[in-house]
Amino acid sequence: MKKFLFRLRRRNLLSYISFWIIIFLYFLAIFADFIAPYPFNKQFRDYPLCPPTKLHFFDANGNFHLRPFVYEYKLVNPALNQYEIIKEKICPIYFFVKGEKRKILALFYSDKYLFGTKEGKIFIFGTDMHGRDIFSRILYGARISLSIGVIGVSISFFLGFLIGGISGYFGGKIDNILMRLVEIFMMFPSFYLMLSLRAVFPLNLSSFQIYLLIVIILSLIGWAGLARIIRGMVLSIKEEEYVLAARALGVSTIKIIFKHIIPNTFSYSITAITLSIPGYILGESSLSLLGLGIQEPYPSWGNMLSVCIGNLRILSTAPWMLIPGFFIFLTIISFNFLGDGLRDILDPKNW
Amino acid sequence: MKEILKLEDISVGNEEVKILRDIEFEVKKGEIISVVGESGCGKSMTLRTIIKLLPKNLKILKGRVYFEGIDITDLDEEKMKEIRGGKISIIFQEPSSYLNPLFTIGNQIEEGIKDRIKKEEKKERVMKILKEVGLSENVYYQYPHQLSGGMQQRAMIAMSIINKPSLLLADEPTTSLDITTAFEILNLLKDLVISHNISIIFVTHDISLARFISKEMIVMYAGIIVEKGFSNLIYSNPLHPYTKKLIDCLPEKYNKGERIRTIEGEVISFKNLPNGCPFYPRCEEKKEICEGFLPKEIEIENVSVRCFKYGDFMES
Repeated sequence: MKKFLFRLRRRNLLSYISFWIIIFLYFLAIFADFIAPYPFNKQFRDYPLCPPTKLHFFDANGNFHLRPFVYEYKLVNPALNQYEIIKEKICPIYFFVKGEKRKILALFYSDKYLFGTKEGKIFIFGTDMHGRDIFSRILYGARISLSIGVIGVSISFFLGFLIGGISGYFGGKIDNILMRLVEIFMMFPSFYLMLSLRAVFPLNLSSFQIYLLIVIILSLIGWAGLARIIRGMVLSIKEEEYVLAARALGVSTIKIIFKHIIPNTFSYSITAITLSIPGYILGESSLSLLGLGIQEPYPSWGNMLSVCIGNLRILSTAPWMLIPGFFIFLTIISFNFLGDGLRDILDPKNW
Repeated sequence: MKEILKLEDISVGNEEVKILRDIEFEVKKGEIISVVGESGCGKSMTLRTIIKLLPKNLKILKGRVYFEGIDITDLDEEKMKEIRGGKISIIFQEPSSYLNPLFTIGNQIEEGIKDRIKKEEKKERVMKILKEVGLSENVYYQYPHQLSGGMQQRAMIAMSIINKPSLLLADEPTTSLDITTAFEILNLLKDLVISHNISIIFVTHDISLARFISKEMIVMYAGIIVEKGFSNLIYSNPLHPYTKKLIDCLPEKYNKGERIRTIEGEVISFKNLPNGCPFYPRCEEKKEICEGFLPKEIEIENVSVRCFKYGDFMES
C-alpha cells in the first residue's frame, strides 16, 4: 500500500491528491452520525432557507475571541426569507456538545455531537426550505451517494467479468449467445432503460428497498458494455505467448485463467472501475432528481438537488442549496483523476 | 544408448492442409538433436505435436508418439498436463513475450513446480536453479522487462528445467539474441545435457549452429524430413539438393563483397502442395519423376535422404 501511494505520487500528483480526497469523503460518510451537528431529519421551523452562518474570531467591537463563534440569525421577512444577524448575540462553538440522542454507526446511542453551539444554531452550508441543516444532510447523503457507486460497480463488474470471461475463454456457441444478450442490453438508451425499470416497481417502497432497487437497476445497466470489453481482452490474452508457455509448462486451466488472463485485464478494468463509479453516482442523482430515487426525508446528493429544479427563486435567493452538486462534482472528478493515475501505475513497466 | 522419444510416421493437418507428413525420428537419452529448415517448414509444429499443443484447427492424422516407451498420442489432457513441464518442457524463441509481464521471475518459475512442497522450499529451489542458469539471486524479485534478452532466455530455461525434465524442446531459443549471448545460451544448454542428463530437440534455421550444438540433425522442408543423419556428414557432404542450397547460403562460404546466392523461388504454401517432392519447383536437379511422386527415405552412408537423385524409390 505504501509502495502504491509512493508510486502514485511520483507518477501523477493530481491523482494522488484525488485519492486522499476520496478517502476523506468516505471517512465523512462513514462517521456522518458523529460529525454532523444535527440529525438529517431535524427541522428548525424558524430557520427556513437560512444562509450559511459565518465563523468569526472578532466580534462587532473588534475584540478577539480565542474560541470561534457564530452570530445568531433571525428571520425578519418570512415571505422573502430574509434574515437579520444579531450582532449582540455571540454563540461560541464547542466540541462535544449535548443534543438530541441518536444512534452512532448503528451500534450505540449518544447525545454528544462533535461540534455545535450551546445557544443559537450553526449551519455551515445553510438550511433548506424545511429548515434542515444542509451540511448534516450532505454527510448523510454521502453514505448513499458514495456507497451506491461502490456496490453497483462491484455487482456489474462481477457480472462483466463472469460473462465476458466465459464468453471469451470458451468462445463458439456460448460466446455467440452471451454476446447477443449483451447487445440487447446495450441496444436500449440506458437512461430510458433505467426509468422504465424503475417504473416496473411500485413507488411506495421503504427507503432501504428503494436503495437496493436503485443499486440493482444501475448495475444491471452497467455490466453489458464491460462484459463485451472483458471478452475482447480475454480473447486476445488467451492467444498471448505467455499463456501458451504456461500451458506448455503444464499449468492448470484454472490457474491460467486466474493468474495469466484475468490479471492482464486489470490495467484496463481497474481503471474502468474507477471511471465508472461516477456514472453510478450520477445515475442515482438523476433518478432522485426525477423523484424516482431515494425519497424524502432520507437525503442523497441527488434528491437534495432535485428541490432546486424549476424553482428559480431558490436558485437566486438561496444558492447554498446547490452545494450537494459541488460534492457530486468533487467526487466524480476525483474518481476520474484517480482512474487516470491508476492506469499509469498498474503497468509494471512504468514503475 | 536408450531412446527417450520416438516419433513414428506422424502426419499432422486437417481436411485442407497437411502440415507434417511422415515425420519419423528418435531422440536418445542425453543427446541433442537439431531440426533445421526455413521458416514455415513445420519445425515448431513438430515440437507442438510432441507436447500436444497444436492449434485448434490441426490434429494428428496418423502416427504415434512414444515417450520413454509409453504411447502418449492419445493421452488425455489431464495426464498431458503432468507430462508438460514435468517430463517434457519447452523454451521459446522470443522470451520476452513468453513471460507474463505482470509477475516477477521468481513467481513465474515457482508456479511451474509440480511437487507439493512448502513455499520456502520452493523459493530455495528457484534460487538454486537461478544460480545454475547463471542468474543472480535478485532476479527472483525482478519483472521480465527489467531483464535483458539473454537473461530472459536464461529465466525461461530455469523455468523449464525446474521439474528436472528428461526432454527439453528448444524452439529457436537463440534467434532473437545477439551472437555472443546466443553462444552463452548454447553453452548453457550443452552444460545442462551433461549435468542433468537431459535430451534436447534443438530447432533452428541456422545449419551451422545445428552442427555446432548437436551430433545429429534433421533437415525439414514443407513438412517432410528431407535429410537426416550425423551433423558433420551432412554439413560437409549434403546429399539433398535443398540441404546443399541451405549450406550454400551461409555467409562464411563467401568472400568479401560477393553476392550471397539464395534459394530461388518461394517456400511452398501448404494449401497447394504438389503430389511429388515439395522441393521440386525450386530444385535445380529435378527429374521428370519428381513432379508426380514423393521419394522414399533411403540410407546412404549413415545419412537418410529423400531424393530421386539416389534411386527411384517412391512412397507407395
